[in-house]
Amino acid sequence: MKSKAWTEKFMQGVFFVAACASVLAVALICIFLFANGIPAMSKIGFVKFITGTQWRPNSEMFGILPMIVGSLYVTAGAIIFGVPIGILTSVFMAMYCPKQIYKPLKAATELLAGIPSVIYGFFGLVVVVPLIREFGTALHSAGIVKNPGNGNSILTASLILGMMILPTIIGTTESAMRAVPSHYYEGSLALGATKERSIFRVIIPAAKSGVIAGIVLGIGRAIGETMAVIMIVGNQARLTSSILDGIRTLTGNIVIEMGYATGLHREALIATGVVLFVFILIINLSVALLKRGADHE
Amino acid sequence: MRMKKFIAILSVVSMMAVAATGCGSSSDDAAQGGSDASGSDWDAASSITVVSREEGSGTRGAFTELFGVVDENDNDMTTLDAQVTNNTSVMMTTVSENEYAIGYISLGSLDESLVKAVKIDGAEATAENIENGSYKVSRPFNVAMKPDLDNAVATDFMAFIMSTEGQQVVADEGYIPVSDVQAYAGEAPEGSCVVGGSSSVSPLMEKLIEAYGEVNPNGKIELQTSDSTTGMTSAIEGSYDIGMASRELKEDEASQLEGTVIATDGIAVIVNQANPTDDLSVDQVKSIYLGDVTTWDAI
Amino acid sequence: MSNKMTFGDKFRTYLKHPGSFIVMLLVMLASIITFAVLIFLIAYILINGLPHITPSLFSLEYTSENASVVPALVNTIIMTLLSLLIAVPFGIFSAIFLVEYASRGNKFVEVIRLTTETLSGIPSIVYGLFGMLFFVNALGWGFSLLAGAFTMAIMILPLIMRTTEEALKAVPDSFREGSFGLGAGKLRTVFRIVLPSAIPGVLAGVILAIGRIVGETAALMYTSGTVAQIPDSIMGSGRTLALHMYNLSSEGLYMDQAYATAVILLVLVVGINALSSVIARKLTAV
Repeated sequence: MKSKAWTEKFMQGVFFVAACASVLAVALICIFLFANGIPAMSKIGFVKFITGTQWRPNSEMFGILPMIVGSLYVTAGAIIFGVPIGILTSVFMAMYCPKQIYKPLKAATELLAGIPSVIYGFFGLVVVVPLIREFGTALHSAGIVKNPGNGNSILTASLILGMMILPTIIGTTESAMRAVPSHYYEGSLALGATKERSIFRVIIPAAKSGVIAGIVLGIGRAIGETMAVIMIVGNQARLTSSILDGIRTLTGNIVIEMGYATGLHREALIATGVVLFVFILIINLSVALLKRGADHE
Repeated sequence: MRMKKFIAILSVVSMMAVAATGCGSSSDDAAQGGSDASGSDWDAASSITVVSREEGSGTRGAFTELFGVVDENDNDMTTLDAQVTNNTSVMMTTVSENEYAIGYISLGSLDESLVKAVKIDGAEATAENIENGSYKVSRPFNVAMKPDLDNAVATDFMAFIMSTEGQQVVADEGYIPVSDVQAYAGEAPEGSCVVGGSSSVSPLMEKLIEAYGEVNPNGKIELQTSDSTTGMTSAIEGSYDIGMASRELKEDEASQLEGTVIATDGIAVIVNQANPTDDLSVDQVKSIYLGDVTTWDAI
Repeated sequence: MSNKMTFGDKFRTYLKHPGSFIVMLLVMLASIITFAVLIFLIAYILINGLPHITPSLFSLEYTSENASVVPALVNTIIMTLLSLLIAVPFGIFSAIFLVEYASRGNKFVEVIRLTTETLSGIPSIVYGLFGMLFFVNALGWGFSLLAGAFTMAIMILPLIMRTTEEALKAVPDSFREGSFGLGAGKLRTVFRIVLPSAIPGVLAGVILAIGRIVGETAALMYTSGTVAQIPDSIMGSGRTLALHMYNLSSEGLYMDQAYATAVILLVLVVGINALSSVIARKLTAV
């Protein structure tokens, strides 16, 4: 009996230690990134680093404001394209889809998640970039925009990223909607609401936290995506006001230049990683706060 | 109701965008057909899409230096409007898809079925012209190892690269070999070594390793493809026996490593095949990359 | 659906509620867009890749002539198994701790939750940087499968934790109470009663994790290295399929083989998904 109690205690300890692993991992990531990134920031000057608009590493100018703005632009674009289509598709999957075709469709969305980003990149480069170039030229000749752009643009990256976050959003939203007890839906129907009204006013609000979780995951994927984006976004490290122009993202800045960078340049790139990391922290913290607020309601 | 409205509005916006790109698609098909035929709809007044490699890349360093795309302090002054890529195939695909694009790549990677290499000051980008000096845009492929490295296979492999047989491989792959080399007289030692670094040198190194495997089946050579800087630092740290760089060694690297030029690689300036331009001068390329000239007819 | 409506009924409902009709149209349109994009993408890969799948692509040894995928395929499998071996026990045990042992409202639990969410949001490139700084350089493992596997393990840990946690939570309390009532200890209850009924959920997480490992490029580039051979040990370097494809495509010399590799990668993903649904069905049937 005594040995059994001992085993219980021991295993409880094991579980506890395992649970600490994720805390340890985050701590390690923080320590190593910050230790390598902070010195560069202080050398360049924190404010100069964050708000500088000039990125010319060979001339010792390290301003990453264009990249920060770039990441925000393409992520916002990805949300505009990806979120509504993703949510509506999951509504279809959960509520409309005939049983016979559900399985293949479900498998297909899972497949979408398994396609490596390099493929999305080449697809974007060969298929979407020319489309956007024509689109820009058409707008230009119609006199709507001043600069037609050349296809490698914020808009292109937004479209491709929107595609890439679809499976994430569909997966989480659909399962959240399925988790809503069916009597909610049936009750709403019984009260005379149409199917659509029941879905959008009863089921989706009830599945809200799952939907939000899916969107947040999608945002995370969009802001962190690298390989596909660098192929299609142009990577110009400068500010722009047109979505038909190219721009560079934080992730792109790291991957593109990491290979050849030495000295302060390399440290500045790791510091770019730190900024990206802080971004993710802010997003996660604000979502955690939101959730807590919602729980208190 | 708020949720519904919100979703509805968002969807309408995105649908419109999708529909708009859909419209673009049909006109695009027409344009593509035209460019394939003869490039008759080439519009010289269009702005140039300038494509560049990333800051710090060996290719870009050599390019900006040789074309003088620098200010008085030798700082890279490539226009900020230039698209940047770190990938040769993205560079080639972009130029082959965009009629008004210009870019530059390693001569060894040039695929003439996709893009067109322009002459520089009348000289065609070929190995012969680089050797006789009429085509000036080239850079060295370096390998480096620690002077006191104790690895028989690595030393023997280096001897092989710098032999007639090794340099034959270099020439076969379209790079410019090093002259005055001797025939390989290695002792075919047993063992293994790690070679790693620049992705530009990698394709050549792969061929060299395979050729070496035929003369010395006992030596096992591992190839790591990363980049010039990783190649050099890893060679210093010892995780690579031989490092590869597609640029000159930097001072702090040269102080700890012994560098050897194993080949010379040309840099080809490429344009779309629909582009009627065949010949550019150094100054024209320079002004394009400085951003002084932004349309093709202004050259 | 039990409410069998005729077409006419539906039509009349929609006439009365044009708003609902528009919403329904939007839902349909969005789904069509999603699946059109998907079909387009898959067709694109197949058209570019299928013609280039040749027997030489499956040679045992990689050479610059055949661009064989076999070493990369083996490396992918080794990498997946290694990462799972590290991450799954940690993931499941942490989930057990969170669901079965930790008291509600525990501050530490909140810290764990927050860090897990942070982990799941970290971009893969940041994992790559960290893996390079920590496993490759600080621990001196060099570019190796092990360094890659540990990096991947941290990356998939939150995924496995979350799905396991959800699965454990879904097990009704009556199961636990029943087990306690029969005199079983907590540990026994967890391993004999709760965990077995949560297995399909855990498995779903594992499958998602495999998908992530198989498709990863950025994080592995800086940790597992890019040697195109099967290494002698897990301390050796080797590239996985996705990385193999990235490398093939980056110099523009092997585009055809790159697309062919993409097709194989796609087949692999389909295979994993199919396998998972088979296993899940088997397990739920028992």
